[in-house]
Amino acid sequence: MSAILLIVVPLLTAFISILFKKAAPYMLLIVSFASVVALGYMPLEVITIGGFNAPYGINLILDSYSLIGLYIVNSLFFLVVALNCVKYKKMSTILLVSLAGLNGLLLTGDLFNLFVFIEVSGIAAYLITTTNKKPLATFNYLVAGTVGSSLYLLGLIILYAMFGTLNMADMANEIAISGASASATAFPFLLMFIGLGVEAKLLPLNSWTKGILGSSNKLTGPIIAAVYAAAIGFVFGRLITDLFLINISEVLEIVIIIIVIASIVAGEAMAFSSKKVRDILLFSSIAQAGLVVLVFFYGFVGWGVFLIIANAAGKFILFVVANHASDELGTDEVSSLQGLFVNNKVVGVAFTVASLSAMGMPLFLGFVVKMNILGDLFSEGNLLIPGIILVTSLVEGIYFVRLLIKLWYKEDNLPEVKYDFTLKYVVVVLALLLMVFGVYTAPIENEADNLNTISFVEGGDL
Amino acid sequence: MLQYAAIVLIMLGLYGLLTQRNIIKIIISLNILEIGVNLFIVSVGFVTDGIAPIFTSVNNSSNLLFVDPLPQALVLTAIVIGVGTTALGLALAKNIYQKYGTFDINEMGEE
Repeated sequence: MSAILLIVVPLLTAFISILFKKAAPYMLLIVSFASVVALGYMPLEVITIGGFNAPYGINLILDSYSLIGLYIVNSLFFLVVALNCVKYKKMSTILLVSLAGLNGLLLTGDLFNLFVFIEVSGIAAYLITTTNKKPLATFNYLVAGTVGSSLYLLGLIILYAMFGTLNMADMANEIAISGASASATAFPFLLMFIGLGVEAKLLPLNSWTKGILGSSNKLTGPIIAAVYAAAIGFVFGRLITDLFLINISEVLEIVIIIIVIASIVAGEAMAFSSKKVRDILLFSSIAQAGLVVLVFFYGFVGWGVFLIIANAAGKFILFVVANHASDELGTDEVSSLQGLFVNNKVVGVAFTVASLSAMGMPLFLGFVVKMNILGDLFSEGNLLIPGIILVTSLVEGIYFVRLLIKLWYKEDNLPEVKYDFTLKYVVVVLALLLMVFGVYTAPIENEADNLNTISFVEGGDL
Repeated sequence: MLQYAAIVLIMLGLYGLLTQRNIIKIIISLNILEIGVNLFIVSVGFVTDGIAPIFTSVNNSSNLLFVDPLPQALVLTAIVIGVGTTALGLALAKNIYQKYGTFDINEMGEE
């Protein structure tokens, strides 16, 4: 089975679903489930589109890096859809388009094709966020996203004018061969970094995040904070390791590190001072996005991948639980959600596991990932970055524990929130996975070592 | 020379985005920015004295000087995407107007 089906089938179904509106939610459910299953039958390969060999034509790369990305994005996407397809029937067509866009983001090996998929998944995301009923926030998201992708386009066109190719791997080769000075490529790289940074929620570029995730519902919260964040994380990893690190100037390096550290520190500080559950979660996901980019920037591909996975699974649980409660109660102030888990112990345990994993407690996946990242950074002789990660993790620990205590303990006047069986099942399974891989670490460590050795040669390393 | 015009347009668009508080004017600024980027893309493929990159019965030698066709293909895609975003932005503007009764962000009383 060819990986191009992952893009074509959702896109085609999206068009068909316009004709059969009644059947659209079922089509969405079937297609998103089928994409997860079909991944098991796809050989690792490079797919040439239209018979034009790379670097002249567009190629899709399915290597072990993008396969992991596809697995995590497609499975989380299916879970979001399974929880929401009844309530948000009207979004079915758009969700199909966004599935096509996300799969394309992860698969493509061409810079301009990446821009197209950023826009496809971006436009789908703007439309999905209209279910928040905050048109102004969605409009801000649209403006920020469009400016970001325009800057990305500008950057890639400058690179095209300099090196005459759009294929990622070929571009990397050309840059290495041509011996262009690092300061010559710094400007286009910076433009592309800004463009992707908007979608990845890095600090000065994330003004849209609070409006969107701060008033998110059960659909938009998990899909923007978990699914989209994971996909953009993988794209960032691919671009940074494949392209930026080939020829990076010292000044650009400093700029990027400052942006990333500012995201981590400010994100955790804002989360610490927030009084609303969704605000706490969204600011913590800004910090995590910063950490992901930082890890890729230091070249730890394997652990970057697992950091994305741990974040995505954790944020999925947290946002689903928090959004369900805020949808039912109409508020997400911590004070009015106090005692939420007294009657919902199962969901409460899953929420606790996810937040413990996010702050990096032992026995959970987040700990394994964070500890290995810190170990790798220390062994490189880097002390500043691990110090910042440790301090921010401490802050993260404080506000998550404070939140958990509030949500678990209260005597009377408990908030009445009912969680249905599907939701409980999904969050418990994900929480179990976080725990299992937090204890049984051998397969993760193997896979991370394996991914570290990937080099993005022309057409991907298979 | 065309590049400078494109960069002026991009800067003009960014300036508009930063200073305007009217939803429709923001969308117009966004369009100016996009036109600037598109113009820049086309200018990258320009070759002095180049002819249109089409093989015909008259122009059938590969020794002829063609302009670069790839940026033209790219700009076509970029224009289509830009139109899609603009349409979505206008639809949102209509929603915003229905909700707040104004296009001015300052008058909406919300962040």
